[in-house]
Amino acid sequence: MGLDRRGFVKIVVGGVAGTLFTPVIWQSLDDVSIWSQNWPWIPRLNKGEVKAKAALSKLCPAGCAVKVKTVGGLPFAVVGNTANPMSKGGVCPVCAAGAQLMYSPARVKSPLKKVGEGKFEAIKWEDAEALLVEKLTALKGQNGKIAAINGDETGSAGEVISGLLAGLGNSGYYMMPGEKFVAEKGVKLMGGSGQPGFDIAGADLVLMIGADALDSWGTTVANQKAFAATRPTGAAATAKFVYAGPVLNHSAAVSDKFLPVPPQATAAFALGLANLLINAGAVSSASDFAEYKALAAKYTVEEVEKATGLKAESMKALVDLIKAAKSPVVIAGASFGQGAGALDFVAGASLNVLLGRVGSGMTLLPAAPKAVAGATSSDKDAASFLAEVATGKAAPGALIVYEANPAYALPQADDMAKTLGNIAFKVSFSTYMDETAALCDLILPAPHPYERFDDALNPYGVAKPTYLAGKPVVKKPVQDCKDPVDVLLGAASKLGLSLGFDTYADVIQAKAKALGADFDALAAGGIWTGEAKGGSLNLGASALAKVAVAKTDDKTLAVAPVSNQANGSATLATPPANLLTVRETELSGKDLIVQMNAATAKKAGVAEGNKVKLSAGKGELKARVHLNEGVAPGTVAVLLGFGRSAWDEFTKGKGDNVYKILTVSDEAGTGLKVWAGSTVTVAKV
Amino acid sequence: MDQKLQELWGEVMEEKKQCKGCGGALPFLIGFVAAVIAGWVLFPNLLYSKKVQPVRFSHKVHQEQGMECASCHVFRDDGSYAGLPNNDKCMECHADVVGSDPAEKIYVEQYAQKGKEVPWLIYQNQPDNVFFSHKAHESFECKECHLEVGKMDTPPVYYENRLSGYSKQTMKMWQCERCHAENGVSNACHVCHK
Repeated sequence: MGLDRRGFVKIVVGGVAGTLFTPVIWQSLDDVSIWSQNWPWIPRLNKGEVKAKAALSKLCPAGCAVKVKTVGGLPFAVVGNTANPMSKGGVCPVCAAGAQLMYSPARVKSPLKKVGEGKFEAIKWEDAEALLVEKLTALKGQNGKIAAINGDETGSAGEVISGLLAGLGNSGYYMMPGEKFVAEKGVKLMGGSGQPGFDIAGADLVLMIGADALDSWGTTVANQKAFAATRPTGAAATAKFVYAGPVLNHSAAVSDKFLPVPPQATAAFALGLANLLINAGAVSSASDFAEYKALAAKYTVEEVEKATGLKAESMKALVDLIKAAKSPVVIAGASFGQGAGALDFVAGASLNVLLGRVGSGMTLLPAAPKAVAGATSSDKDAASFLAEVATGKAAPGALIVYEANPAYALPQADDMAKTLGNIAFKVSFSTYMDETAALCDLILPAPHPYERFDDALNPYGVAKPTYLAGKPVVKKPVQDCKDPVDVLLGAASKLGLSLGFDTYADVIQAKAKALGADFDALAAGGIWTGEAKGGSLNLGASALAKVAVAKTDDKTLAVAPVSNQANGSATLATPPANLLTVRETELSGKDLIVQMNAATAKKAGVAEGNKVKLSAGKGELKARVHLNEGVAPGTVAVLLGFGRSAWDEFTKGKGDNVYKILTVSDEAGTGLKVWAGSTVTVAKV
Repeated sequence: MDQKLQELWGEVMEEKKQCKGCGGALPFLIGFVAAVIAGWVLFPNLLYSKKVQPVRFSHKVHQEQGMECASCHVFRDDGSYAGLPNNDKCMECHADVVGSDPAEKIYVEQYAQKGKEVPWLIYQNQPDNVFFSHKAHESFECKECHLEVGKMDTPPVYYENRLSGYSKQTMKMWQCERCHAENGVSNACHVCHK
């Protein structure tokens, strides 16, 4: 029997019919539908036990005590640590994005060596460390040839870096600019010493002059918790908050009173207030009260109105509030956490002296014991140092950059980046590929906060000596990174120096011991606090005599950089999750929005939506205009945190960087470089 | 025209005769049976690859020591289910080799002492979009859903679906739904898909 065409067809039909009675079609369809859900780019869940581990998150300048939620050992979310008396369960918007930032594509994945303009090659850790030692060996013993910029104001890492530099015969240790450095200078001008602190929680009136204490000044989460505690649900507020500054920012928005004061006139505002308080009967036992009284008398309500635009009634109403308060405290600072002069601080702090609040509202913290014997302090900030490099007064051959981003976050940023680029050998210890790392010859990836030991001593603003410490949350970093302090200690050892420690963990444990704190309790989310020291301050009258109010004319406006903590910091670009919180009035497409009030806009010849160019020094910034009556007269408010040229696809190329148009000037009598109150020209384009 | 029709009719009748000659319904039946056999016997062998566990773990030996399922497969304090034990649990007894079974030596030397977790093959791993609570199903015997491995000296072969990547034993949604329906439990989406 042969098989003809018809027979073959019958077999096929039978086969097809038979297949319908098997799982071939049905199972295949089902499995293909499952297969289609398993694309390799779909993220997979990490399964395992869910835990909440205490951590010190130093993504924000003050550092947050947080609980990191992990699953199977990997972080996936962050919550506040309710057991920590400072943060009381709060967390700042940057640290809240900490888990996401641990897996950021902007992280430096391995040691990188520069091989061309903007080109790097991955190298092994032993080669990277050998290169660092080789460069440092060549310059060892030549003072001025090795310098370091530290962006971490609170960590013991600074002791190791400065100790290493001292051991190498160099004194070029510089901090990135911040409030603490300036405030300590200010305290000296008032005849005292040490870091000032402010008891916001214990005050019934908090006057913030410039200082954006509820968003970017000091320990913001603790400040916010203190503010919240004064606003009990269903009951009257127990304290008043007043913000006097250039912009209706986050602090001003929730305060009982907002007084628009241009950034260059905060000292004049404080002295005008002092004058009214003295006229109302305030006296001080400070030795320079007579001199201070005479000086303040020059700041009449008319003079203050001329400098700030504030009417006499507003000032008098504020005086009434202060007089009615039993425990007022005045906090002065720059609206964006840097660039203010020591005189701005002294003018504000002198009000605390005048009100008899030194030792209670405003405190002084005692000097803390050092863990590293050879550690030194920074007598100059990074902006002053790089200005000297630019003019040839300083000529370092090697620069160590630790947790800092001077190429982005210093005034005249483009010039600073150029100056940095001209230094022969630059090494950046950075977790992320930031603007400074992108300029460096060697990039050594630092661990994310959940992958490292770290500590924070006396974050600026705390009223009492305060110490926090943390240990890694994860067993192994997600990138090939090493703790920078471990690397520097290893380098020191190879250079024949002994700093007394092998690892950063040892340094921190020694620091805790020196303070009398229990490291294990700190690492479990605890806190160590000491007592503020006694002592008095004078009114800083002789220093304040040099206060000068910068004048703006019709062609220039004062710049008020505005901080929004959610947008990141000098060392951290906006976390991807937080980009969702950027408003249309802050960034439109890729255009940065600058804000000014209608009268100022009219004077500058611009209107809502106009494209403008802001120029100062060699810097230029392009933006669009948005009218906002919450901006002080003669002032243009510019949001910080945009105009990134490095980082990742989420932040790069969006908006412009306000640091480009900030200009540095010398503060009379203190020698400090200041840039709060910089002025710019505005032109329509 | 009539002649053409007659010729055509003749061809049809001729084909009909030939058709009878090629077996009538037999080819259909041959195709049908062959397909059924292929579909039920050959297809599963093609669809699934066979894998063995990285360590020949004997549930039987452990049960003979008086251990129960819950001795290793525990609920955590928060009510979540730990599933397979990790090294911390296993090393409570096997930090060092304690017996003569070569499988134990492999575990101790290649995993425990190197701090490496055993990449166990999980017979009933559910997709990420399924939230399955063992706590909610605590009243059932383990073997009602899982392979009854308690008396096995060698773990069963793991059949991995070449298309979906899941195990042959992974429970499908219809099975979940049927059991829920039979037990009067809601089959709303959010019950399993959070």
